[in-house]
Amino acid sequence: MLKYSIKRIILALITAFIILTLTFFLVKSLGITDTTFGSKENVKFAFFMKQYYLGYVVYFEEPTAGYGKLLAHISTLEQEYYFYERPLLEQYWNWLGNIVTKWDWGTSVTIQPNASAIDIIAERLPTSLVINVFSVIFSVPLGIGLGILAGLKKNTWIDHFISTAVMIFISIPSFVVISFLIYLLCYQAHILPSIWPTPSEPMSTKVLAFFIPVLSLSFGSICGYTRFVRAELCEVMSSEYLLLARTKGLTKNQAITRHALKNAFVPILPSILAEFIGIFGGSMILEKLYGIPGIGDLYIRAINEKDYNVLMVDMAIFTTVGLLAGIVLDLSYGFIDPRIRMGEKK
Amino acid sequence: MAKKNNDFDLVNLPEAAQDPEIKQEDFVLQQADKEIHEQRFQTKPTTFFKDSLKRFSKNKSSVVAAYILGFLILLSIVVPIFSPHDVSTGAGDIAFNYLQPKLFDGGTGFWDGTVQKTHIPVDTSKGDNKEDWWPNPTYYKKSGISNYQVGDFEFTTDITEYGKGGYARIGYYSGYGLSSARLDSVVSQDTNFIPELDLTHTTLTLTNFETVNEEKIMAYYEADESAPKELPEHVIPENFELGTTTLLFNYIDEDISETDYQTIQLVDKKVIHNVGSTLINATDTDPIVISDVIKAHTSETKFTNFYFSIVVEGVEGTGADKSVCSLVKNLVIKATGTPSKNEKAYFEGDIFSETIGGNVYRANIPGISFDDAMNFNTRNSKIKVSSKEYVNTGFWSVETLIKYTKAVHMGVCAFASFTYDSYAGSLGLVEHYPVPESKFEEYYRKGWIDYNVDFKTVAGKEVVDESTFYFEIKSDACPVTESDDWQLKASDIVYVASSESFIAYCNVTYYRYLGYDKMPSFLFGTDKTGRDMFTYVFDGLKNSLILGVITFVVCFVFGLLWGSISGYFGGTVDLVMERITDILHGIPWIVLMTIVILHAGQNFGTFAIALCLTGWIGTASTTRTQFYRFRGREYVLASRTLGASDGRLILKHILPNAMGTIITGAVLMIPSVIFSEATISYLGLGFKGMSSLGVILSNNQVELLTYPYLLLFPAAVIALVMISFNLFGNGLRDAINPSLKGEDQ
Repeated sequence: MLKYSIKRIILALITAFIILTLTFFLVKSLGITDTTFGSKENVKFAFFMKQYYLGYVVYFEEPTAGYGKLLAHISTLEQEYYFYERPLLEQYWNWLGNIVTKWDWGTSVTIQPNASAIDIIAERLPTSLVINVFSVIFSVPLGIGLGILAGLKKNTWIDHFISTAVMIFISIPSFVVISFLIYLLCYQAHILPSIWPTPSEPMSTKVLAFFIPVLSLSFGSICGYTRFVRAELCEVMSSEYLLLARTKGLTKNQAITRHALKNAFVPILPSILAEFIGIFGGSMILEKLYGIPGIGDLYIRAINEKDYNVLMVDMAIFTTVGLLAGIVLDLSYGFIDPRIRMGEKK
Repeated sequence: MAKKNNDFDLVNLPEAAQDPEIKQEDFVLQQADKEIHEQRFQTKPTTFFKDSLKRFSKNKSSVVAAYILGFLILLSIVVPIFSPHDVSTGAGDIAFNYLQPKLFDGGTGFWDGTVQKTHIPVDTSKGDNKEDWWPNPTYYKKSGISNYQVGDFEFTTDITEYGKGGYARIGYYSGYGLSSARLDSVVSQDTNFIPELDLTHTTLTLTNFETVNEEKIMAYYEADESAPKELPEHVIPENFELGTTTLLFNYIDEDISETDYQTIQLVDKKVIHNVGSTLINATDTDPIVISDVIKAHTSETKFTNFYFSIVVEGVEGTGADKSVCSLVKNLVIKATGTPSKNEKAYFEGDIFSETIGGNVYRANIPGISFDDAMNFNTRNSKIKVSSKEYVNTGFWSVETLIKYTKAVHMGVCAFASFTYDSYAGSLGLVEHYPVPESKFEEYYRKGWIDYNVDFKTVAGKEVVDESTFYFEIKSDACPVTESDDWQLKASDIVYVASSESFIAYCNVTYYRYLGYDKMPSFLFGTDKTGRDMFTYVFDGLKNSLILGVITFVVCFVFGLLWGSISGYFGGTVDLVMERITDILHGIPWIVLMTIVILHAGQNFGTFAIALCLTGWIGTASTTRTQFYRFRGREYVLASRTLGASDGRLILKHILPNAMGTIITGAVLMIPSVIFSEATISYLGLGFKGMSSLGVILSNNQVELLTYPYLLLFPAAVIALVMISFNLFGNGLRDAINPSLKGEDQ
C-alpha cells in the first residue's frame, strides 16, 4: 500500500510539473502584458527592475539589436534603461529557480501592480475556502440523506420525485440557477444582500450573504451525491449477502445499517474526501455573479485584464487541486477497501 | 416449398373412397430429386438497431425527451431561416428595444406584452393635480400606460430623479469594489464626512476636500444661499493616483449646473487626440446630438462611421460592475445627421466584451434610463462625453464617462403604479412626430389622405398659407391620426429650406408609420437593440448544436482511434499513450480552453478545437477498457491464427463488440459540449460576432433586474435542451446497452 501510494504521488507530481511547464510556455507565449502602468514611470521602473532581478528581463544602456523584444525604455536621472525579454527557456529556468528558492511565482501587472502574485492569491483564497467549506458541510449530509431515502424507497413516489428533481437540477446550468436565485431572493424578496458585502458592512449582512453562494454551490453537489448514493444503495440492496442477512434473522433496519450502508459507502466516502480537497478551488461563475473576491473571480479578472502572471498561479491552483483530489480519491479507495487498487495493473 | 399435388379430403371422403382402393401411383415421393434448404423464419428478423429502438420506445420519458429535442432542433433550423427578423444586428429603430414577450392579445396580464410597474417616480413639477403627474416620458409613454394610479408624496430614501427637498450626501469613490449600490453605507460609516445636506437651498459652496485614504476623496459642502457655487482650483490630494479618476460632484436640483465637476485626467492610453468634452445631464430628456458635440470640438465635419461607448471608471471587475453596467445601460444618445442611414446610431459591442485596460469597460447601449427599479439613487449622474481618435481604425469614437455620486439622501417624491404595454408605448401613438413631405405624398398616392400645403413668405420666413391649407384623413390605415383634442394645424408644419420641402409634426401610429399593417408582436420579446429574441435564441441554439455535433464527431472518431491503438497493442505503446492522456486529463478544461482562446481568438473554430482537445479522452478510455476486455478472447485468437491483420482484428472483430458500450459512453458528449460552451461564454470568453445560448445569456445578464424575460427564455430553452438531451441519452444508453440499465440514474 505504501509503495503504491508513493508511486501514485510521484506520478501526480510529475504530471503536475509537466502541466505547469506547458502552462508556463503557453501563457508566456501570449506575450508580456501591458506594462505601461498608466504611464506611471516609477511603478513601471520598479516592475522592470524586479523582473530583472528575478531573471526574466535584461537591460542595456542603449538600444541593442538582436536580443529580442524591447519591452520598455525608461530614462532615469542617472541612466537610460532598455529592457529586453530574455529567451523563453532562460525565463523558464529562472522561474523554476525562483519558485524553489524564493517561492516567487511572478509579479502582478494590472490587478495590483508590483504585488506578488502568490500574495494576491493568498489574500483571496480564504474567501473561496470559507464558502466552499460551508457548502460542503451543507450539501454532503443532505445529498447522502436524499440518496438513501430515494434508494430505500426505490420506485415509490418519493424516489420518483427525488430522481426527477435531481435530473432537472443536474441539467440546468449553474449560472441560470444562480441568476434566478439572486433575482428571486435578492431583488424580488429583498431578504438577502444582492452582492457580496464589503468588510465594513454589519455582521448580519455578512452572514446573510452566505446563503446565495452556499445554496448555489450546493445544488449541483446535492444532486451528484443523491444520484450516486441512490445508485450504490440500489445495487447493494439487491445483492445476495443482504438477502442472507435477512434470512439469518436481522430486521430490515439492522440489515440496512449494518450491511447495506457500510458497503454502499465504499465508493462514496472517497468522493467526499476528494470534495474536501476541492474546497481550495473557487467557483468562477458564482464568484463573478455575486461579486465574491475569491480566486475564481480573480481568474476571470486576470484574463480580462491580461495579468498573465496571476492567471498562471491561479491555473496552477486549479490544476493542483484537481490532481490532488484524484489522488485522494484513488488512495482512499485502497484504504477503505483493501481489495481495490485504482489504476494498478492487473 | 413443395407444392401439394394431391388434394385429399379426409373428412368428406367421396363415395368411391369409402372403400379405399390404394394404388401404387398414389404413393409419390414428394421431394424426389429436389434440393432441400433450411426454411426461413416466419418471424420477422430483427437487428441490433431495431431491438434497441424497441427497448428505447418502451422508456416513455426518453421518448418524450426525444420528441422535445427533435422539436427544438427543428425550430433551431427552421426559425433562423424563415424568420423575418434579422438578428445579426439590432432592429435599427429604438422603438423596437425592450419589447416585452407577447403571445396573447392582451388583457390577461400573462405573456401579453404588458408589465406591471409599481413605485415609479412621477414628475410632480407639471401641476398640482395628480392628473398632471406622469412618469418620465423617455421610459414610459402615456400611450402605453393603463390602470394608472398615483399616490401622495412620500418621504423616502428611495429617491429618484423627481425627488425634491430633503437631504443629500455627496461623496466620491474611485476605490476597489465600490459601486453605487453601497456608496450609501460606506459613506455613513465615515466620520469625516458630513452626511446630510439640506437641499432646500439651491446654492451650495464647496468648502474643502479631504483625503481619507488613497481611494476616496471626501467633499464637504455647506449650504449657503448667498455664496456662488464653485469648485476649488486644486482638489487633487498629494497621494491621489492620477490618471484613474474623474471627479464629479452633483446634486439634485432643478437648477442643475454643468460646472460642478472636474476632470483630473483622462485615462485611456489610446487617447491620441483629446478634443474636448461635453456634459450630458442624465436628467435631460432631450437627446444629445453627438455629431454636434464632435463638431464643436473639432474641425472634422464628416463622419463615415463612428460609435459611442460608455466607459465606467474606477470600478473593479467584480460583481460591482454589474450594477454600474445596469446603470449605464439605457443612455439615450441619438446621432442625427450624416452618420447612419437610420438616423440613429447604436452602440456596438457588449458591456463586458471590451476592456480598455484597467477598470474601464466599454458598454454599448441605445439609451440611458437609470432604471427605476434600481434604488441606488444613481439617477442624478452626469455623463461626460469626450471625443477621442483611434489612430489605427480611423474611426471616431465618443467615450462617455459616467461618474455618479450619491445625491439626494432623503426627500419627498410621488410614486405611481400602472400596467405598461411596451408595444402600445413604443409602437403605438407618438405625439408630435416629424413626418416629411415625402411621406405625405406617399399617403396621398395611397389614397389615405388629402392635403394641400402652400407656403408664403412672411417677414423673410416661409410659413404655411392658412387660407389654402387643407388636410383630411381618408382611411383608418393612415399612420397619421387625429383625435378629439388634436388636429393637424398649419402651425404644426415647418418649411425646410435646404430640401425645399416641409416637415409636419403629427400624431402618428408608429407601427403604421414604419410600414406594418398591424402591431408587430414578439413571442420572446426583444432585447436592448431590438433583436427578436425568438429568432435570436434559436439561432444561438443552432450554433450551439452545430458546435456540439462537430465536437462530438471529431472527439468520437479520434477517441476511438486512440483508445483502439492504446488498448489493442498494450505494453509500452499503451503506457506512453496513457501518460499523455493523464496529462491532458489533469489540466482543468477551463484552463485549457482559456489558453486556447487567448492564443487563437474567440471564434467558432477555436471553440471547436478547444473542446476537442480534451473531449476525446472519455471515449478513448472507454474504448481502451473494452479493447482490453475483448482482445484476449478466443475468437480474436482464432482469427489471428488464421492470419488476420491487426487492422482487421480491430475493425472487424473487436470494435463491433465494443461499440455498444463506447457509444453509450459518448452519447452525452453533445449536451456536455453545449454546457461547456455556455459556461465559458458566460464567463465572458464566448464567441465574438456569433450568437450562442451562452453568449445570449451572458449579454443579457445585466438585464436580470430590469428585464428578466431576456434571461428567462434563453435559460428555459437551454434547460429544456439539457434535460431532454440527458433523458434521451440515458434512454439510449439503456436501450443500446441493457446491462448498464439503471446505473447512475
